[in-house]
Amino acid sequence: MFRSLVPFAVFAALYLALALFVTNSYYQLIMTLVLVWACFGLSWNMLSGYTGLVSFGHASFFGLGAFATVLAQKYWGVSPWIMLFVSAGIGALAGLLIGLPTFRLRGHYFALSMLAYPLAMLYVFQWLGYPEISVPRVLDRPALYMQFADGRVYTVIALAMLAGVVTITRLVERSRFGMALIAIKQNEAAAEAAGIDTFTWKLRAIAVSGAIAGMVGSFYAIVILVVTPQSVFGMLVSAQALTVAMFGGVGTVWGPIIGAAFLIPIAEILHAELGGYLPGIQGVVYGVAIIALIILAPEGIYWKARDFLRARRGSAVVEAAAAPPLVAVPLPVAPDAPRRVGDEVVLDVRNISKQFGGLKAVGTVSFQVQRGMILGIIGPNGAGKTTLFNLLNGFQTPDGGQVFLGGQDMVGKKPSQLCKAGVGRTFQIMRPFKRMTVRDNVRVGAYVRARTEAEAARLTAQALDAVGLSGIALRLAGGLTTKELRLLELARALAGQPEILLLDEMLAGLGTDEAIAVVEVIRGLADEGKTIVIIEHTMQAMVRLVDRFLVLDHGEIIMEGSPQTVTRDSRVIEAYLGKKWVANA
Amino acid sequence: MTLLKRLLFAGTALAAAGLAAASAHAQGKPEPIQVGLIAPLSGIYARPGTVMKMGAELGIEDVNAAGGISCLGGAPLELAVIDSGDSVEKATNAAQRMVAEHPKLVGATGAYLSSFTLAVSEVTERANLPLLTLSYSDLITGRGFKTIFQTSATSGAQAEIALPIIMDLAEKQTGKRPQTVAIITDNTAASLSSVKRMKEGLLADVGLKLVSEEVFTPPLTDATSLVQEIRRGRPDLLFFLPTVISDSKLILEKMQEFRVRVPTISFGIAIAEPEVLNTVDPKLLEGVMSAVANWGKKGEEGLIKRLKDRYGEPWMTQNAISTYGDMWLFKTALETSCSRDRAGLAKALRGLDAGPSKYYPGGTLSFDDAGHRKGASLTIIQWQNGVPMTVFPEALALSAAKWPKP
Repeated sequence: MFRSLVPFAVFAALYLALALFVTNSYYQLIMTLVLVWACFGLSWNMLSGYTGLVSFGHASFFGLGAFATVLAQKYWGVSPWIMLFVSAGIGALAGLLIGLPTFRLRGHYFALSMLAYPLAMLYVFQWLGYPEISVPRVLDRPALYMQFADGRVYTVIALAMLAGVVTITRLVERSRFGMALIAIKQNEAAAEAAGIDTFTWKLRAIAVSGAIAGMVGSFYAIVILVVTPQSVFGMLVSAQALTVAMFGGVGTVWGPIIGAAFLIPIAEILHAELGGYLPGIQGVVYGVAIIALIILAPEGIYWKARDFLRARRGSAVVEAAAAPPLVAVPLPVAPDAPRRVGDEVVLDVRNISKQFGGLKAVGTVSFQVQRGMILGIIGPNGAGKTTLFNLLNGFQTPDGGQVFLGGQDMVGKKPSQLCKAGVGRTFQIMRPFKRMTVRDNVRVGAYVRARTEAEAARLTAQALDAVGLSGIALRLAGGLTTKELRLLELARALAGQPEILLLDEMLAGLGTDEAIAVVEVIRGLADEGKTIVIIEHTMQAMVRLVDRFLVLDHGEIIMEGSPQTVTRDSRVIEAYLGKKWVANA
Repeated sequence: MTLLKRLLFAGTALAAAGLAAASAHAQGKPEPIQVGLIAPLSGIYARPGTVMKMGAELGIEDVNAAGGISCLGGAPLELAVIDSGDSVEKATNAAQRMVAEHPKLVGATGAYLSSFTLAVSEVTERANLPLLTLSYSDLITGRGFKTIFQTSATSGAQAEIALPIIMDLAEKQTGKRPQTVAIITDNTAASLSSVKRMKEGLLADVGLKLVSEEVFTPPLTDATSLVQEIRRGRPDLLFFLPTVISDSKLILEKMQEFRVRVPTISFGIAIAEPEVLNTVDPKLLEGVMSAVANWGKKGEEGLIKRLKDRYGEPWMTQNAISTYGDMWLFKTALETSCSRDRAGLAKALRGLDAGPSKYYPGGTLSFDDAGHRKGASLTIIQWQNGVPMTVFPEALALSAAKWPKP
């Protein structure tokens, strides 16, 4: 944690030195505004950067903070020193009030409805009779009211505020809070399946984000001295947060800082140098510059620079990382040797069924899974495998029947509850967080079980070890091969210490050698006592892996038995290949 | 001089500057005195800002042609133009830039929109730089500042001045005083504060009864309901307070379509900007009156012609004439202070007593403690044959008022 703040401390020290050196009041103001917009960008980043829920309405919190501060001083003589913190509270409260109804929406709908809040407030404040309002000037002991003749003081305050925001962001980033948000961004359903209560975490995020924005708005009012609804609730304010964050890089603490440090001075220099000479041209130049940068670095300067630096550091690092053997525990290949399977029933499925309109996707299916067993569910496309799976992990509710896990009926439970009860799953379509390391990806899954950060770290290490990814734990997930991604998903499910693992098409898209490697990892897990249910569409690799097959066709179990029996059964061949092949079998 | 200009003219600048300095020195010509114009020259308010710049340029030209500041050896005035941009933040930044990068400024004028003026004056007050302004929000002079000088009557005062004049005019020309009034206003700051003042006593004072009040948010998409409300109320007068030209057009057209012929009095210059004619038929405008803080008046015909010849402006709005007058006000005060010092100029402006005002309507060239120009009045203009003409005060009128026939 402290190490992660070192680069910022260096930046802050340099910035402070520069700020103290600048005596021109205009440059002082610009230096302060860079920090103000960096903080605001970080506030936006807290919600939108990490959860991926784009907010076009951060001006709501900003404006409320600004108006609260000016009005409190004007009518009750409350000092901005106090209002800075009150505004943070107002921002947090507004965040909760806005989040409660708005988080029901997703994607563009969320973004658009967020846009409406500041615009509505704009009219409310106009209607209240505050078309423009200025911070009352205090001549007697102005410092008590945060009024200083020397602009450098504001820069110092803003820097302190930024330091606070960066620390909060770092804390969030490294804890289960940040991991939960990031998981939501990757795939909200997967996050829910990994045991994350997504709604609650989103509310926490918008409250923290709103608190920061409220505080920044409050400080902004003090610096700019005049507040109008348009200047604090306007579209441009919300856009400013997006612009600095997207320009610098989303989902990192450095993005908004870089964005603000570039854009604010550039806009001002253009304004100062070109504004009086050819009015309006500064807007054109600024716009063109932003367009060019977005084309060149769509994810923002920070990520572009990082990729560039990593590429330059050369392949030596990558090779060093790749050097240790990928599969840490080379297992003796003994595919046909019978394995010991316990008698204890982990999963007991009784007569579950699911119907979509007239289509019977799953009709009265029953089976049991014993501890340490690998059960393969196979069947041709459309056989009802995925529906059956979704019934088991809570994404869909069966029309009838029961699913007992450790003796308890789990029908009707939410995915996150099932996950907590010990059902781990992987997804057919892999959605890793590409910009995070392998280790952090796995850590997201560990939080279901882990109570402390230390425990999460331990579970993560165990899971990585079990799938043989320890050697590349610090690599970014974006650069992994399909096989490594499959193992990563497996490790994430494992990190939550599940009783039973549900694996959805783990071998899809893998070459023969790769499939064998993955199969061996899964077998290793089973040998350690993990119970595994695996859905697969192709039979080949499965024959070497599973203890028992369950063959589905048209939503019914047509066959259940050992791999040898199943592959020779005429009904299975018919289901897969059609009737004419049965004779040839 | 900006960096860009420096780069562009780097080659010739040295030689030219050397020559100029040499000749200036040889003739013993005093260094110019810098005054600032801080106004929106880019963004959505660029148009009025540009007109202010025209007025300032003409003003500087005339002051210098009249011998500059004679007390300072005939030193000419020099204009420093600062773009205030189109937002409060940009205006604040621009004001900081102005005081930091133009240390020689003795005073400035600006910044068109009252919220920009509020922001700019917060900065200039702290820098002790005198700021003249044509903005008329009451807030500007309500903060106890010592270096702000408001040349227009405040918006509250404007309604107060205008209403009795309008009533008298109606009575004189039609033989009876109007009894009822309808109000259509947008919900911008200036409009709402005027309407508030009217409802809180001004209407009652002149004996007008409010029969309907319609508030809309610009931009308007359909004026039917607004106009029907007027038709239902059958008022003797309509007070019309739009800020956006397209809104005035919509409402006037709808009134024509519905044959609602009520004498219409507007407040502010939105209905008399030259751009109005781009979209509105002059016939619709004929007879419409507006109360504005300042306008091209009797005695300024030469100026109006110069503005037209040089810049193509068809008539002189408040932005041009008030800013023009500001340059003369600077001269008058500089002759009193006789120094190149900001504090000196501020002191001179505060203590100024230069008799009747020439370029601003009514009152004198003197200011009270808050910075209001003493006795500041306004002008009433009326669209006549496609041109908004000053019709009040009568002494300054370019044409006689004709009460619109209902």
